[in-house]
Amino acid sequence: MATIAPGVKTGPYHAVLDHIHPEPTSFIRKYIFSIDHKVIGIQYMITGGLFFLIAGMLAEVIRYTLLQPQGQMGISAATYNGVYSMHGSAMVWLVIIPLVTGAFGNFVMPLQIGARDVAFPWLNLLAFWMFPVAGVILFSSFLIGAPDAGWTEYPPISVQGPPGTTLWCIAIFLIGVSSTLTGINFIVTIYKMRAPGMTLTRMPLFVWAQFATAGLSFIATTALAAALLALFCERVFNVPFYDPSRGGSPVLWQHMFWFYSHPAVYIMILPAFGIVSEVLPTFSRKPIFGYKMIAFSTVAIALLGFSVWAHHMFTSGMVPWLQLPFMIITMLIAIPTGVKIFSWVATLWGGSIRWTTPMLFATGFLITFTLGGLTGFFLAAVPADYHEHGTYFVVAHFHYVLYGGSVMGLFAGFYYWWPKMTGRMYNEAMGQWHFWITFVAFNCTFMPMHWLGLMGMPRRVPIYDPAAWYVFWNQFASISSFVLAASMLLFAYNFWSSFRSGKIAGPNPWGARTLEWMISSPAPYYNFKKIPAVLATPYDFGNPLPYLGLEAAEGATEATPTHSSHPVPTY
Amino acid sequence: MAQRIVKPKTNLGPGFWPITALIVVVSLIMSYFTWNSAWPIGLIPAGDPAPATDFLFKFLGVAAAWIFNIVTIYTIYFGIVFRQPKHAPASTIGVQIHDHPVLEFWWTVIPTIMIIVLGIISVKIWADIQNTQGDVLTVEAIGYQFGFQFRYPKLAQPVSGVMHLPLNTPTTIHVTSRDVIHGFWIPEMRIKADMVPGLVNTLRVTPTVPGTYRIICTEFCGLGHGAMKTTVVVETQQDFSKWFAQQGATTGGGGGGAIPLAAGKADVGKALFGQKCSACHSTGPFDQKIVGPGLGTIFNDPAHPKLVNGADPTPQNVAKIIHDGYSGPIGVMPSAQMNGLTNADIGNLVAYLASLSKK
Repeated sequence: MATIAPGVKTGPYHAVLDHIHPEPTSFIRKYIFSIDHKVIGIQYMITGGLFFLIAGMLAEVIRYTLLQPQGQMGISAATYNGVYSMHGSAMVWLVIIPLVTGAFGNFVMPLQIGARDVAFPWLNLLAFWMFPVAGVILFSSFLIGAPDAGWTEYPPISVQGPPGTTLWCIAIFLIGVSSTLTGINFIVTIYKMRAPGMTLTRMPLFVWAQFATAGLSFIATTALAAALLALFCERVFNVPFYDPSRGGSPVLWQHMFWFYSHPAVYIMILPAFGIVSEVLPTFSRKPIFGYKMIAFSTVAIALLGFSVWAHHMFTSGMVPWLQLPFMIITMLIAIPTGVKIFSWVATLWGGSIRWTTPMLFATGFLITFTLGGLTGFFLAAVPADYHEHGTYFVVAHFHYVLYGGSVMGLFAGFYYWWPKMTGRMYNEAMGQWHFWITFVAFNCTFMPMHWLGLMGMPRRVPIYDPAAWYVFWNQFASISSFVLAASMLLFAYNFWSSFRSGKIAGPNPWGARTLEWMISSPAPYYNFKKIPAVLATPYDFGNPLPYLGLEAAEGATEATPTHSSHPVPTY
Repeated sequence: MAQRIVKPKTNLGPGFWPITALIVVVSLIMSYFTWNSAWPIGLIPAGDPAPATDFLFKFLGVAAAWIFNIVTIYTIYFGIVFRQPKHAPASTIGVQIHDHPVLEFWWTVIPTIMIIVLGIISVKIWADIQNTQGDVLTVEAIGYQFGFQFRYPKLAQPVSGVMHLPLNTPTTIHVTSRDVIHGFWIPEMRIKADMVPGLVNTLRVTPTVPGTYRIICTEFCGLGHGAMKTTVVVETQQDFSKWFAQQGATTGGGGGGAIPLAAGKADVGKALFGQKCSACHSTGPFDQKIVGPGLGTIFNDPAHPKLVNGADPTPQNVAKIIHDGYSGPIGVMPSAQMNGLTNADIGNLVAYLASLSKK
């Protein structure tokens, strides 16, 4: 082993565990009100998973209704409106955002930076418990009349909406506070608690993604909170923020809502980028291509993401020239995004690729997300958006980036870190079947929505044109969505059976090199007995591990690398 | 031992150039069909901004096809040729390359150039649409739960249901709403604007193909949103004039005409006041404000000898404020157009206000 590199600080972090709070022994302190980031991460995962189940079933109610064009399936318009609104709200705020930040951020990020916990464990506990409470409040709005104006809840219709809309305001406000707290916690953790020697450019890319995401949650969510508070006051106390007949402005809501909700799109996708950036090099057995450009583009996307919100409002009514800067900046985001995508493709080149389930999902992500990004371009160009705004084309676009992007990334992350969470392997064949069914059914569900929208089908309708062409493609999408839902059974069964009787994984089943794989699986209570020193980026598969002072977990060291026997010349 | 890795000499592998050629051929074929399709969106272009929008759409389609093919085909190809051989040890590593500054430079610069070109084309088409001639005919479209009304100049009453437009006539459509936000979309003409209460959005279109086209609401507006549709009939000038005459065109009323003050009926105005004005105005003295001032003594108030715009309190000047709306230090009032008031309505309202001041 080399000597400690110059510039590596030794200090309190480097100390052996000399001051240990004993691991709590009571069930409640250990599993319910735990302050351990790993337990909280898994709590987020289970809660988010339950909400995913509910919100997914709501999606199937939507597709079930649309099997017939004129409401013949027996779902009333009122029910339908509540269902699609709750589907969108729950998927965004109760599923994707908590899973990408709360679940994976909490579980993986401190391990990857060599920390023993997040900076503020009690704050973390508080932030987590706001989440199930918000979820219960949101879903209980079904009891008194669910909100019906979509996840965007544009006033004035949302001011007149069913009583549940008030609960919606409260629930989303609460989840916003939780998200802000987590953002603050992660910024401080990543900034202050990295292991010695882990400079910013030695951080794993997933940590970079969490860093940028935390900044977004921390800054943008306040705008949403203000908008929600105003909507709450208008509904409950009759304060006319948005009512035009009393001097309010409905467009004000749209500005404030999208000032949060466009960055929220990046809150949902950047961590998925981070997951993919971990999975691709691990299974290609080569360094991530263009590390610095990927890290830099993550930050660039987050920064640019703040100045594009009004591209959701090209038809809403604003000074026409103002559309141009929003269009141009939106298009500029394609540059850092393109850099990432090309770097990922280049990471595959010359690899020694093992086609495991996480790798399949990461590659599937690459293809479906690219398509979603490209349709984003069609929506950014203002004149084209005049045609596409508010149609199924938009629905197709954001499901390609959110399901084809975020959820595919989440699946990759689940399969990838499952052994670290439980110490057991899942069933590989079942995992691969899950991928292929998901990939095909996903594309069959959402691809037809592109042309349905272009041809004239608006969003958020329980009835549509009864012409045979529309009926065919809607039925095609609906039946595909049922298959997509069924594939989740495979996923659930796989993890259930793995949890009960999966093969023991060992500390590093993938031969990965980031710090979380250097300790035993499942990770011990204090993560690292001794905080390691970090000498280099984690992605150099040809080199010895760049960590000093690790108490080696059994079997954690990599086997001596063998060079590719592949026909493509390497050195 | 952290060895320094000598930058490996690499070649791209056996199938790289054939696959690259495949990408080019597939993309060229897709570009050819996209570029030469008459209806890239799948719908006939029936009005003036549509061909420009379709051109932009084709351009975007070609650019997207190339990028999608490059990413997908290389991903699949690399995934196949660089897979780990079945019996190789799992720790077999790939090419240890970290980056390639030249390659990264080009894949940043080429998309940037593409975006600049695309930006210029989009701005150009956007400017064309914004500068489209419109004003030969001005129609006002008003959304309500759940339908559309259309006001034409010189028609005293709004037309409910179907919109009619004369062929090849540059038309401006002002859209607004009476209640919640609606959308106004004519897919065949590629135009859309939200109908926002308290706000007037403007569309310009020149219908070029006779026919009947859909008008669709694209913003969620309540239980009837899915059914909120109507049609626009594009017809020759003669047919349009014939239809127009049937709607009871009057020379006295309408957008440019005078307001029929003499014909105003106070009792009709009173009912109208309850529907349209009383949310903001009381019928008490000036200081009895709800949002705007009380109007009970508007024609006869020693404390306020002038109207809020500084004009003398004559019926003509009051009618003018109702017609044009007001925006000033004490607040904002929407115009008659946005309030859905005809000139006849204004006459009735003025008569009612005058009757209040006489008491």
